[in-house]
Amino acid sequence: MRVRWLAALGCLFGAFAVGVTACGSSDSGGDSGGSSAISGDTLTIYSSLPLQGTSKGQSEAVISGERLALDQVGGKVGKFKINYVSLDDSTAQNPGTADEAQTGQNARKAVQNKNTIFYLGEFNSGGTKVSLPILETANIPQISPSNTAVGLTTDEPGADPGEPTKYYPKTKRTYARVVPKDTIQGAALATTMKEDGCKSVHIFNDKTTYGAGLGRNVELAAKKIGLAVEGNDGTDKTSANYRSLAAGIKADCFVGSGVTGENYVQVFKDVAAACPNCKLYGPDGVAEAAFTDPKEGGIPADVAARTQVTVATLSPEEFKKQGINKAEKFFADYKAKYGVDQPDPYAIYGYETMSLALDSLKAVGDKANDKEAVRKQLLENTKGRDSVLGKYDIDENGDTTLTDYGLYTIKNGKLTFSKVIKVQGA
Amino acid sequence: MEAASLPAEGPKPKTSEVLREFLSKYGLIAVLLALPIYYGIQDLSADGNLTRLGNNLMDGLSNGAIWALVALGYTLVYGIIELINFAHGEIFMIGAFTSFAFWTEIGLTPSTGTAGLVGGLLLTLVVAMLVSSSLNVMIEKVGYRPLRSAPKLAPLITAVGFSFILQNVGVLWLGASQRAVPDLIGSQTELFNILGISVSRGDLLAIVATIPLVIMLTAFVTNSRLGKAMRATAQDPEAARLMGINVDTTISLTFLLGGLLAGAAGLINTLYQTNVWYLQGFTAGLIAFTAAVMGGIGNLRGAVLGGLIIGCIQQISDNRIGNEWTPAVIFAYLVLIMVFRPQGLIGEETREAG
Repeated sequence: MRVRWLAALGCLFGAFAVGVTACGSSDSGGDSGGSSAISGDTLTIYSSLPLQGTSKGQSEAVISGERLALDQVGGKVGKFKINYVSLDDSTAQNPGTADEAQTGQNARKAVQNKNTIFYLGEFNSGGTKVSLPILETANIPQISPSNTAVGLTTDEPGADPGEPTKYYPKTKRTYARVVPKDTIQGAALATTMKEDGCKSVHIFNDKTTYGAGLGRNVELAAKKIGLAVEGNDGTDKTSANYRSLAAGIKADCFVGSGVTGENYVQVFKDVAAACPNCKLYGPDGVAEAAFTDPKEGGIPADVAARTQVTVATLSPEEFKKQGINKAEKFFADYKAKYGVDQPDPYAIYGYETMSLALDSLKAVGDKANDKEAVRKQLLENTKGRDSVLGKYDIDENGDTTLTDYGLYTIKNGKLTFSKVIKVQGA
Repeated sequence: MEAASLPAEGPKPKTSEVLREFLSKYGLIAVLLALPIYYGIQDLSADGNLTRLGNNLMDGLSNGAIWALVALGYTLVYGIIELINFAHGEIFMIGAFTSFAFWTEIGLTPSTGTAGLVGGLLLTLVVAMLVSSSLNVMIEKVGYRPLRSAPKLAPLITAVGFSFILQNVGVLWLGASQRAVPDLIGSQTELFNILGISVSRGDLLAIVATIPLVIMLTAFVTNSRLGKAMRATAQDPEAARLMGINVDTTISLTFLLGGLLAGAAGLINTLYQTNVWYLQGFTAGLIAFTAAVMGGIGNLRGAVLGGLIIGCIQQISDNRIGNEWTPAVIFAYLVLIMVFRPQGLIGEETREAG
C-alpha cells in the first residue's frame, strides 16, 4: 500500500518535472526561431558602451551618432516605435573598458526585456566575448560599432583556440560589425611601417582579447611583407612603469597594441624615452583624447609628434574624394544637431550601427518584431549596402567587407587625418 | 654518577637541521644572486660587458628606493603594534594625489624655472607629508586605538576597510583610470653616464631623496628620547607603560612617521613615474609589504634592503623575462626567502614570534 503511494507521488513529481522542462524548452524554442515575434508595437534597441573613464569620449560620440540616425527616422520603423536604451558596460572601479560582470548584466537585461530587437555593442572586443553568447542564446541580433578582434567571427590567424565557436552556443550567427577586423588593421599598421621605411618592429600588447589578438595580426602581417619582428611582449596594467621592458627594444619601429585604459599612455612615454629614434604606432584602441591630449592625461606633445594612429574612419574630405555622398551628409547633419565640426572618428560608426539596425528592421516590414527574420536580414541579406562608410556587404561571419583604414597624426592633442592606408599582407 | 663524570656534550644536531641552517645561511644568498649572475654571464658572452645588467640594477635601485620608503611605514607599525596596516599603501596614494593637486594649484609646470620648481616642490613635499601623516594618525586614533585590546583580526579588518575607503576617495578625486601628470623634472632625461650605465634625473631624485629620509628616521629611532620610547614600546608595551612611557602617544608618533615617509614617497613616485592612479597604493603596498617581510618585518634596515632587492628583481624581470611575469617572479622570490629564512633577511624576533 505504502509502495503504491510512493509510486503515485513519484509520478506526480515526474509529471511536474516534465511540464517544467517542456515549458523551458518551449521558451528557448521560441527564441531560436519557431515563434520569435515580439508582441506590441514597441521595439527596444539597447546600446552598451563604456561611459566612464578613458573611452567616455568615444562612447559618447557613438551614442550621438546612434541617436542622430534614430532621430532621422522619427524614432519609428513602419508601425513600430523604437525605444532606445543606453547602458554603461564599464564601472567606477573598472572604467574605460567593458567590465565583464557589468557587461554580462547588460546582456541579461536585454534578454529579459521581451521587446528587445537589437543590441548595439560592445565597444571593446573583450566585452563582446561576454555578451555575445548570452545574446546569441536568446537569438538577439547584435552589432558592434568598434570590435576588431578576429576571433569573434572567424578562426583566422589572431583568433584563440575554440574561437569563434564558443561564442555561438546555439550555432546560429547573430553578430555583425561595421569596422574591419584586426586582420585588416594589423596589415594596415604593417603597411604603414613599411611605407615609413621601418626595417624591424617591436610590439607590446596589453594582453586583452583586443590587444593580444591585434598584436598577433601585426606580427603576421609584418613578417609577410618583410619586416623583422623583434618581439611581441605582454604588458601588465598595474606596473608602475615599463622602463626596463622598453629598454629591451632594438627595433626602429614600435607598435603599442593596446587600449588607453590599460596604461598605454605610460607605455608610450616609456618607450619614447627608452628608444628616442623609434617611430611609434598605435591602433584605434588609443584613438581618444585621453591618449592624445596632455590636458586629458594623454601623452606629452613631444611623444605625440612621433606617434601615428590607425583608425578605420576616414576624414570628411577623403569620404568626399571617394564620392561617398552619404558621409558628407552625415557630417553636415551631425554639425547641425550637435554643433561639432570634426566629430570623434567613432561618431560615424555609431551612426552606421544604428542605420544598419534600422534598415534591417525596415527591410523585413511587418516582421520587424520577429527576431529571427531580423537576424536573417542582417546576416544573410546585407549585400551591397550603400552607407555613410561606402558600399559594403556583411559576410556570412558577420564581418564587413570594407578594408580602408585611415592614418592619423596627433596635433595639438587631437587626431588629424593624414592619409588612407591601402593594406598589404592581410 | 657515571653520567656526571662524562664530558658535557649537547645532543647531536639532526642532518635536516644542519642542512636547513646551511641553506638559511648560504642558500638565500645563492637565490638572491641567481638572477644577476645568470644574466651577467649571458651579457658577458653576448655583449662582452655588463652594461645591460648595470642599467637594470640602476633602474632597480631607484624604483626600490621608493618601495623602501613605503616599506618603512609597514615595518614601523608592525614593529610597534604588530598590525599589518593595509591602509598604508593608500596613505602613499593620497600623498601622490595631494602632490599632483597641490603643484597644479600653485602653477608648477615643466616650463617653470629651476628656482621656482625647487621651491614649489619643497613646499609640495611639506604639504604631502603633512596630509599623509595627519591622515595616518587620524586612522590610528579612529580605527585602531579603540581596538587595541580586541582580537588581532579586528584591527586587521579595520585596516582593510580603511584601505577600500581611501581607494574610493581616490576614484572620486581623480577618476579610476591611470592619469599621466606633467613631467616636471624630465624624469627620464639622462644626467650622466658611467660605463654605459645611464643615470636619469628620476633615478637621482629617488635615491638622493630617500637616503637622507632613511638616515633621519634611523637616527631618530636610535638616538632620540621618543625613538627609544618607540623601541621600548615595541619590545614590551606593558613594561614601557610601567616605566612611564605614554604608549598611546608613542604609537601615534609611529603612525605620524610612517605617514610622513608615505607622503614623501608619494611625491617622489609622482615625479619619477609621471602618473597617478587610485590603485597605485594597493600595488605599491603589496610590493612594499613584501619588501618589509623579505627584509624582516619590524626591522628598518631590512625594509630598506627588501625594497632595493625587490626593485632590482622587478627591473631585471621586466627587461629579461617580461613585464607580464614580473609579479610572479617577485612573489616566487618571497616564497623562496620565507622557506630558507622565515624571519627575513635581517629578521628580528618580534613579541609574536617570541
